[in-house]
Amino acid sequence: MSGRAEVTEKPVRADAPGRGRALARIAAGRRRWIVAAALLAVACSLPFQLVPFRVFQFTMVLVYAVALLGLNLLVGHAGQISLGHGAFFAVGAYGTAIMLDRWDVPHVLTLPAAAATAFALGLALGLPAMRLRGLYLALVTLAIAIFLVPLLKRFESVTGGSMGLTLGKPAPPAWTGLAEDQWLYFLALAVAVAAFLLARGLLHSRVGRALHAVRDNEAAAEVMGVRLSFYKTLAFAWSAMFAGAAGSVYTWVIGFVSPDSFAVTLSITLLAGIVVGGLGSFSGPLLGGLFVMFVPGISQDVNDAAPGVIFGLLIITVMYVAPTGLAGLAGRVARSTKKILRKE
Amino acid sequence: MSGDAFLAVEGLHAGYGDARVLHGVDLTVGRGEICAILGPNGAGKTTLLRALSGMIRVRGDVRLDGTGLARRSPDALARQGVAHVPEGRGTFMPLTVEENLRLGAFVRRGRGAVGADLDRVCAYFPVLRTRLKQVAGSLSGGEQQMLAIGRALMLRPRLLLLDEPSLGLAPLVTEELFRIVRAVNEEERTTVVVVEQNAHLALGVAQQAHVLESGRIVLSGSAERIRADEQVARSYLGYRV
Repeated sequence: MSGRAEVTEKPVRADAPGRGRALARIAAGRRRWIVAAALLAVACSLPFQLVPFRVFQFTMVLVYAVALLGLNLLVGHAGQISLGHGAFFAVGAYGTAIMLDRWDVPHVLTLPAAAATAFALGLALGLPAMRLRGLYLALVTLAIAIFLVPLLKRFESVTGGSMGLTLGKPAPPAWTGLAEDQWLYFLALAVAVAAFLLARGLLHSRVGRALHAVRDNEAAAEVMGVRLSFYKTLAFAWSAMFAGAAGSVYTWVIGFVSPDSFAVTLSITLLAGIVVGGLGSFSGPLLGGLFVMFVPGISQDVNDAAPGVIFGLLIITVMYVAPTGLAGLAGRVARSTKKILRKE
Repeated sequence: MSGDAFLAVEGLHAGYGDARVLHGVDLTVGRGEICAILGPNGAGKTTLLRALSGMIRVRGDVRLDGTGLARRSPDALARQGVAHVPEGRGTFMPLTVEENLRLGAFVRRGRGAVGADLDRVCAYFPVLRTRLKQVAGSLSGGEQQMLAIGRALMLRPRLLLLDEPSLGLAPLVTEELFRIVRAVNEEERTTVVVVEQNAHLALGVAQQAHVLESGRIVLSGSAERIRADEQVARSYLGYRV
């Protein structure tokens, strides 16, 4: 909220020459691309600098970032809530596992199939759910997450029951000369970049504007001709699709699925991750991915007996210091450094 | 009902849940006219506009140029060319002015036409052109109201519904707004229904006026007649003549 208040208080810059402003905008756009390119360069060099375990950790950061991209679309951009995002992640993970286990489908094909399955399921569940709002919607999505684990355990012949399924990982082609962990990292990176570009394209389209309108003012969006239930359902299905794609890569990377990896806590951790990372921002999912991957581990190190307590306290601290998430905090730091530099 | 009415409303009932607000409203608006809906607080003026744009369920008959509009969804009505500037403006604060305007043309296809309409709307509201890339939340109240009306014009509406455009604005800004609404009406022959507390201003631009009280039309007539009617002024419009 405070972010919005800031916007209203900002004095209106009148009469700035239009040409200068246009140039500044082009410069800002170019700077964004430079930052993105630099980030990508760092990301590409990472697996050659780190030990395999760390490489694995960063691979998982990318996996979570893809899932959070979807959640960001739904929560940050369309303004709906989901406590069941982990269920769609699990659908992608199990879908991939079953395809690999039973039909020996090549790894590359499991990803689009898993994403499509999650999309279809999101559409089917979103159709009734998205007629609800607020707490009712939260409750229904939570029910989806709770429902899933017993379901996975029940159909033992397909899902492997409580024991789960163990699968082969995609092997690096000989020409790359990469080790397995490095190859998996680059696969996750490729999926993450593709997912990022896709989300960006979606949000800059007419449909993206419709989602923002629904988030900012439902009544006004409605009289403008935006069909609320249609766009909410679509956002829900897309968010499920990203989660499904992330789940698929998860299975490639881990090579093992079991029901208890996808308990309700996964959904809640993901929601916490995107809120902490920064709702509605482009860097939010990546920062959230770092949070989801590393903070539970750090909590464990701080106090072995009560990692949950430390995890909770860390969330509270971040939200207290940075109510618009880590992305918002980074933006604020950047602005104030610029101000300091300008003064000198 | 007269045959040449552009908007014809007959026996319109509407409300929220158990609370019924409109108890059989009948009114007609001629093509290309500005029609003012006056009345005290709680008379059902906003509810009437919401009923006309499909935001709430209604009973009764609403016809726009002969096409039945009652019980259709808001997006269907937007496609029929009904643009509603809601109470409190409904600005999408975090979006830019241009994004707000483009959302006004959401149900229309064709990029070129929408681009031309951006120019057309900015000609009516020159201040918006200088603010296109600015976040709508940073606009002043008057500018936001201009944005709200401009956004509605992006639809190329056949029927424009304005809910209290003067709310919370300085008198000078309000006068400017009404002047522009008049200009739009004259240049594009857009039919306008305006709900207004400031009866004096509304009667200044309108040809027709209806006085609404407790969910019923209690008086209809030409704007001059209603303005001249001292009795009406005292009982419904709350000012002395």
